[in-house]
Amino acid sequence: MSIGRKDVLHVAKLAELAVSEDELPKLTEQLGRIVDYVAQLNEVPAGEQAPPYLAGPDKVTLRPDVVAPVPLARPPADFAPEFAQGLFVVPRLGAMEDQ
Amino acid sequence: MAWETVIGLEVHVQLLTRSKMFCGCANKFGAPPNTLVCPVCLGLPGALPVPNEQAIRLATQAARALGCTVHTRSIFARKNYFYPDLPKGYQISQFDQPLATGGTIWCESPERGRIGIGVTRLHLEEDAGKSLHDRIPGKTAIDLNRAGTPLVEIVSEPDLRSPAEARAYLTILKQILVYAEVSDCNMEEGSLRVDANISIRRPGDPKLGTKAEVKNMNSFANVERALIVERDRQVALLESGGRVEQVTMLFNAASGTVKPMRSKEESHDYRYFPDPDLPPLVLTQKWIEEQHAALPELPEPKRERFMTRYAITAYDAGVLASERPVADYFEAIVEAGAEAKSAANWVMGEAMSGYNETGRFGVGADRLAKLIGLVKEGVVSLQAAKRVYPELVDRDDDPRAVAERLGLLQVGDAAALGAWVEEVLAANPSEVDRFRGGEAKLMGFFVGQVMKKSGGKADPKAVQPVLVEKLKN
Amino acid sequence: MSAVELIASAVREGRTTAAVAANEVASRLEKTAALNASLNWSAERLEAEAARVDRASPSDRAKMPLAGVPIAVKDNIVTTEQPTTCGSRILEGYVSPFNATVINRLRAAGAVIACKANLDEFAMGSSTEHSAFGRVKHPDDPSRVPGGSSGGSAALVAAGAVPAALGSETGGSVRQPASFCGIVGIKPSYGRVSRYGLVAFGSSLDAVSTFGRSVDDAARVLAAMSGHDPLDATTIAQPPLVLDPPRRDLKGLTFGLPAEYFPRDLHKGVRAGLDRAIKAVKELGGTIKEVSLPHTRYAVPTYYIIAPAEAAANLARYDGVRYGQRRVGPAGDLRALYQATRGQGFGAEVRRRILIGTYVLSSGYYDAYYRKAQQVRALLAEDFRRAFDAGCDMLLTPTTPTPAFKAGEKTEDPVAMYLADIFVCPVNLAGLPAVSVPVGRSEGLPLGAQLIAPNLAEARMLSAAAALEAALDAAAEVR
Ligand SMILES: [Mg+2]
Ligand SMILES: [Zn+2]
Repeated sequence: MSIGRKDVLHVAKLAELAVSEDELPKLTEQLGRIVDYVAQLNEVPAGEQAPPYLAGPDKVTLRPDVVAPVPLARPPADFAPEFAQGLFVVPRLGAMEDQ
Repeated sequence: MAWETVIGLEVHVQLLTRSKMFCGCANKFGAPPNTLVCPVCLGLPGALPVPNEQAIRLATQAARALGCTVHTRSIFARKNYFYPDLPKGYQISQFDQPLATGGTIWCESPERGRIGIGVTRLHLEEDAGKSLHDRIPGKTAIDLNRAGTPLVEIVSEPDLRSPAEARAYLTILKQILVYAEVSDCNMEEGSLRVDANISIRRPGDPKLGTKAEVKNMNSFANVERALIVERDRQVALLESGGRVEQVTMLFNAASGTVKPMRSKEESHDYRYFPDPDLPPLVLTQKWIEEQHAALPELPEPKRERFMTRYAITAYDAGVLASERPVADYFEAIVEAGAEAKSAANWVMGEAMSGYNETGRFGVGADRLAKLIGLVKEGVVSLQAAKRVYPELVDRDDDPRAVAERLGLLQVGDAAALGAWVEEVLAANPSEVDRFRGGEAKLMGFFVGQVMKKSGGKADPKAVQPVLVEKLKN
Repeated sequence: MSAVELIASAVREGRTTAAVAANEVASRLEKTAALNASLNWSAERLEAEAARVDRASPSDRAKMPLAGVPIAVKDNIVTTEQPTTCGSRILEGYVSPFNATVINRLRAAGAVIACKANLDEFAMGSSTEHSAFGRVKHPDDPSRVPGGSSGGSAALVAAGAVPAALGSETGGSVRQPASFCGIVGIKPSYGRVSRYGLVAFGSSLDAVSTFGRSVDDAARVLAAMSGHDPLDATTIAQPPLVLDPPRRDLKGLTFGLPAEYFPRDLHKGVRAGLDRAIKAVKELGGTIKEVSLPHTRYAVPTYYIIAPAEAAANLARYDGVRYGQRRVGPAGDLRALYQATRGQGFGAEVRRRILIGTYVLSSGYYDAYYRKAQQVRALLAEDFRRAFDAGCDMLLTPTTPTPAFKAGEKTEDPVAMYLADIFVCPVNLAGLPAVSVPVGRSEGLPLGAQLIAPNLAEARMLSAAAALEAALDAAAEVR
């Protein structure tokens, strides 16, 4: 198995997803199967130099520098979970504080 | 000191566009919180970014002004991390294919003289919002007005060898960017932000030491202070047999200290990948050259031109060229007929102190040129002209009329001068004796006294013959 | 005349009103409620939508290609008048403050938004079993799945509740349920239709796509919303799609049959359905040509690297800070907010894909997975290009390897579920247009055939699909 419990916990942390202890074994097993499955791409001899494939336009079209925001039918206060003094509010940052 | 300091700087600069980087919201400072927001910069489900052409233009000009190669193809990438003022959970930036690479910034090192500092890269990205930790007790409040503001990140090579060099580099960098009208580089409003990487090593050691990152400096002076403190910390650490850890240090301006960040994040894994919402940014070489051609004359070439064209000193040329309004004012005065050296002296003296206070020049270039002309023609003395000057600020009066009103027109008439000369000689009998005894150098003293007595009106060239005449007796 | 054109022409000519059509749809939505396919609709809302069309001046209405046509909208396309949930707890009750470009365009064309349609959470799935609001049932057999992720839209069209619906594709999420439900599903070229307001899953693959009971129904809706959008930098600078008149024959057209799509062990019914389609092509004067798309077997693994990688970043915005449902874990700090909001707000399949996507982008694995997948993606696109260059006007393949499967059959085995998309997801990777057309039934269950065309060749593809449709009795059992 290419992926273990430690890997799952590591990516769960990067993705800010709580993973409970009891779902961990099954999740690890499922993710392992998926990773093993997609790893078959390694059989494909692909030119290292090949540029990534792009569907759609091959270059970005730019926007003129004009103030014209898409209007909001409702203000942020209407959809925010917590909003005060015109600001979105979240709990104290804890360990993320001084970033 | 038996240690060599190695510093590299990462500078984030907000671009002077009307609208944000990827949406049509206004790019401006100081609006009520969360009023300059839209689906895109709020990171709402379904919203998509579209790049601002003017941001690309300004970034291209900045890059060329710093001597970088601007690439005809660059890629926007997503930099993934969670933070409450980062609405999408990723920042749109550029990673392995940035807009520009390989420039040089020339600056004056206090230790090494003129040095060229390498610019590794310049890339485009979007700013995050603002987290306010002191607004609501026990909570963090988020304002997303700033989210999506266009930024360029300018990364230097680790070519700087002292905190003072870092400051010199930043000063020149700011000069260039302000000149090019790419950014206002206002550190207080956060439109220019500096992160520094610093390490020390034994001179001659080809290997770099372990570096610390220093953040949270709100002025160039504080960048220098913070780097001095951090350098000294590292020196003390190594000299006591310890070793430097790779940390991020936060500078506290009030205490003048640095302390490590509380959260010892395991090194970030940003999982950069090309942003699938944004096809490659493709520019033609012709367009890039057009943007370069549209740049104004930059401080360095302007300084050199001033030296050769106006025959002024390197120092004077440097001061005059440091800011575009100053340089333009100087040249307008010369254009209006003033002699360059005098114009330089006036701009760097009287005019500059007003400019530093108010941010503008209170006397039009034409009238200052006239005043300078009056001195040259001997109509007023330099000393008198300096008394005329304040009367011209923010008014329309003609300099000659003001001089006349103030009774400052120069007096060359022998009778009038003779009276002042006699008063001076009568008041300084011992000096008169010494002069007559052969101390010829006292002539300067007498001229000065007469000038003083006349309130600056006496024509110094006419004073001397009168003095010579009277002292003979 | 197609159902869409029947309603639109009657409303345009004043023979009926949008209100009457809306009323009819309301009663059909009620009758089909047991499918669990519709979300967040009300008779009042429908009335208000219809009134907009009826209030328009007759001369304006006469120009509306979709006047009064009720359309179901997959609930991952944002609308300001009803919630947009993406079938997820994390967005329960969320009402978007802006409309998707496709919604604005359909409304301008006179369409009436009938309801939102249930889906696999964030469009991740192939069975519409992964919705926080319950699974959608197959209209012909409630024990089976309608396919997915646009299963709600497909079921509503198949059950006759609405004449047309919007779905979205990332890896076949419209063609596969169209095939399962016996209707038409069109996936346009990548960039043909704006994604602004389509909740992003795999941004380089996503395409708003359409369902109808006929090619014409689905094509008219597609044409009305197509065209460049300045709000989406990945739309192609092209005017809206102009449809060709339907063809009576297929003379002069060459249809490639890629060997990899016809494996020896292909489901017998599916094989028989394709044989019927091949026979029809020949009878209509088309040419059949054997071709090979050698990298086809790598499409699903490629897809399951690229789509989750993009999804992991696209779904980072659901953090409980600015909108949506917030939960805070015991520690009470920001990280507890993130972890609980996302850990509890996302369902199992979404969490799996976020974790896989995070893994394949993480330090040390990027080259082996993500970069490699990008390279293979280029090879897959090259396979198609070669087939078209070799003289094929389009390709003809089965849409799915089997007819609709039983609910619960694949939920415990993600890889088995992923393989249900084996014939549809290569098209998304290459960004090509494709359509699934019903070709008959096997043991009572619908079967679909797929036409795949070169980039931007929708018009020719759809006129050929219409000819094939007319030649086939889709209600008949295949043998
Ligand atoms: Mg940066
Ligand atoms: Zn905005």
